[in-house]
Order: sequence, then structure tokens, then C-alpha cells
Amino acid sequence: MKMTKIYEGPYQWLMFGRDENKPDKIIDTNQYVVRTGSRCLVIDPGGVELFAPMLAAVLHHAPVEEITDLFASHQDPDIISSLGLWDQALPNAKLHASALWEGSIRHFGCETIEYIPIQDNGGVITLDRVELQVIPAHYMHASANFNIYDPNAKILMSGDVGAALEEPGAPVFVDNFDEHVEKMRFFHQRWMPSNQAKRFWIDRVRDLDVEILAPQHGRMFKGDDVKRFLDWFDALQVGIAV
Amino acid sequence: MKKNQVKSQFVAVASIAAELSDVMNVAKEISLAAANAKAIAFRAGEKAKGFQPITDFINELAKDTINLVNNINLQAVKLYQLTVNEHKMTAASNQLARVKKLTGNAAYEASMNTSQEQAEQRKMDCRREFQSHVDQLLEQLASVMHPARAARVIAANSRIEASQAGEYLQSLQAVAESVDNAALVIHSNVQRCRTALSIINFTD
Repeated sequence: MKMTKIYEGPYQWLMFGRDENKPDKIIDTNQYVVRTGSRCLVIDPGGVELFAPMLAAVLHHAPVEEITDLFASHQDPDIISSLGLWDQALPNAKLHASALWEGSIRHFGCETIEYIPIQDNGGVITLDRVELQVIPAHYMHASANFNIYDPNAKILMSGDVGAALEEPGAPVFVDNFDEHVEKMRFFHQRWMPSNQAKRFWIDRVRDLDVEILAPQHGRMFKGDDVKRFLDWFDALQVGIAV
Repeated sequence: MKKNQVKSQFVAVASIAAELSDVMNVAKEISLAAANAKAIAFRAGEKAKGFQPITDFINELAKDTINLVNNINLQAVKLYQLTVNEHKMTAASNQLARVKKLTGNAAYEASMNTSQEQAEQRKMDCRREFQSHVDQLLEQLASVMHPARAARVIAANSRIEASQAGEYLQSLQAVAESVDNAALVIHSNVQRCRTALSIINFTD
């Protein structure tokens, strides 16, 4: 599992992905970790196949008792099917996820971890003195869907928005936006169901100060590429299957 | 536990539930046969005097079997839950062992020790509970064999009594046949349940 530090300040943002030992037919995912003084948030911890390499990688940065928070942007198995295993590994953790998905997500196993339901209008996750905003991103692509925004680090973890299907070992940042577009087009047209929801999300994100847009698949966008992505996405027709 | 063993355990537990469902249906058939026999015996009057108490026995047997199977069904559901728990705990224990292998020289590797030990302990507890439950279920299944055996004896007596029932001979013999067949079906289904449970113990 490759680790890239994407923010270093009084706390850290770490990106994990490009696992070389990932089974072939399983989609590659990016996991993000926010590490503060005494706590650790794992954002979209991943599928069950990824649990062991992911936890092993996080143990380089935090002991299990300080992995206190998990966040699931939505209910898909590549996001959170590892929950039942985290449930056995973490002695005192909370899962922040949509109130709407609680009944579904609990199928993955959630006995010792406390489920903190997020209402549709989002909320805040506080880790020590760090406040992370939970931004609604409904229908992008799941019907209840959230992003995480850190106004201090200027990072938006955007879930499936901005995702691309890449070759194994692809770089972690977009280096040529125009070339990257084709890796995203079909994914966004097919997986994002609503132009109205897309419009709503873009308007909301344009109001944020985002230096890094960090999706759950593929490469992250940095600096001007964030704006390029928003403009490109703005012009794209989605929901093409109907 | 290996993948095939897990599969065979799930299949065995599911097949027990299916067999028990069949036993329940057959027990209900016996109950119907008892009601039918009672009506025939009533119509036959003196000619089927010896048959009348037998119908009560048949009915009692059907009731006993239904009660036993109802109870065993609850136990089978519990066995399924225990199978799922054991599977989950085994997977967790294996995955945590894998984490340990992958951590290399991670700074906080040792923080995993307690979680790993607890997961291993939970796995062993689940296994013990599962095995104890299998033993209980085997005993309960053995108890269903008693009414099934008794039903066969009653069926034999019914044939003798039916032979003295004049024009009701055929009807009462049909009742005896029905009870005998039902007893055979229950016996063989319960035997299959016991075999399935024994396979679970064997594959452990």
C-alpha cells in the first residue's frame, strides 16, 4: 500500500492507495487518513479485501486505540465493506455515515463501533482541535452521499466525484488534465444520475477554497486543476443511461 | 477453517432446516390421519372398538413430534446464527493475523496485540458454543426418533385392529399405512439431519 502525505501542519492528511497486492477484479480505491495529536480518522476505509493492508499501513502512523473515527461517504462495498473487520480491531471507534444508510451499512457488521448518523444537511467531525466539515453531496452518486472538507488544509475529499479508472500504479496527482479527462468521462456520465444534483454540488464547491480535490478512485486534483475539473464537470451531461 | 469446510458447514445447517421443515409437514399429515381415523372408527362403531384408542395415540404422537420439531427448529435457527458468528470471527481472526504479517516494522504494530488476542479468543468461544449446540441438537434429534419408532408399532397394531373392522377394513388399513409411511419418512429425514451434523463435527 502506497502512502502519500498530502498535508502537513499541526496535523496530517495521508492518502493510501495503489495497493500492489490488490486482487485483479477489485476496483482500486484511495483511502484518506486525518491524523491529529491523539486521534485518527479513516475516510472511506475500503472493501473487505483491503482491510489488512490498510490497517497495516495505518499502524505506521497511529496505534489502534487512537484510530477513533471512520467515515463512509456512502454505502458501497468498496467504501465500507471492511467495517465488520474494523469492528473487531478497534477498541473505541465511531463510524460517521449517512442516517439514511444505517440499515444497509450495518449489514457489514457494526457491533462495537458506534454508528453516528449524519443528517441530510451534513455536519462537523471534530478531531482534537481540528474541525472537518461534512458536506452534502447527495446523488453524487449515491442517494445519500457526503464529502469531507477541511477549510484549514483546503482539501475536499470528494468521494466518487472526480474519480477515474486508472491503470495500476498510476501517479497520485493529475499531471495533464486534458489527457485525464477521458479516464473520467464515462464514469461520471454513467454513475452520476442527476444534472440538477451535479449543478447543486458544483455551486456548493465553487464557494469553498479547495487546493486539493481528493476522489476515492484515481488521481487527485491540485491547484488550477481543481477549477478545470469543476468547469469540465459543469459542462458534462450526466445520467446518460436513461 | 478452510473455505470448503465453511461452505459445507453452511450447507449442512441449511439442509437441516429443510429436513426439519419436511418432518413438520409429515407430522401434520399424521395429525390429519389421526383425525380421519377417529371419524372412521366412530362410524364403524363396535367393529372398530379396538381402533378408537389407537387414534388417540396417533394424535398424541403427531402432537409430540410437532412440539419437538418446533423446538428443534428454533435450535436450528440458533445454529445458523452461530455458524454466521463463527464464520465472522474466523475471518476477523485471520485478517488480524494478516495485518500482523503486513505491518513489517510499523511503529504501532504492538498496539494490535490485544485486538488480535481478543479476536482469537472470540473465535474459539464461537467454535465451542457451536460444537456444544451441535451436541444438543443431536440429542434432540434422537428424541424425535422415539415417537417415530412408536408410530411404527402403532401402525402395526392398527393393521391388526383394522382387520377386524369389516367393511371399514380398507379405510383403516389406509390410515395404518399412512402412519407407517409418515414414521418412515420422519425416521429417514431425522437420520439425514444427524448425518449432516456429524459431517460438521467431522470436518472440524
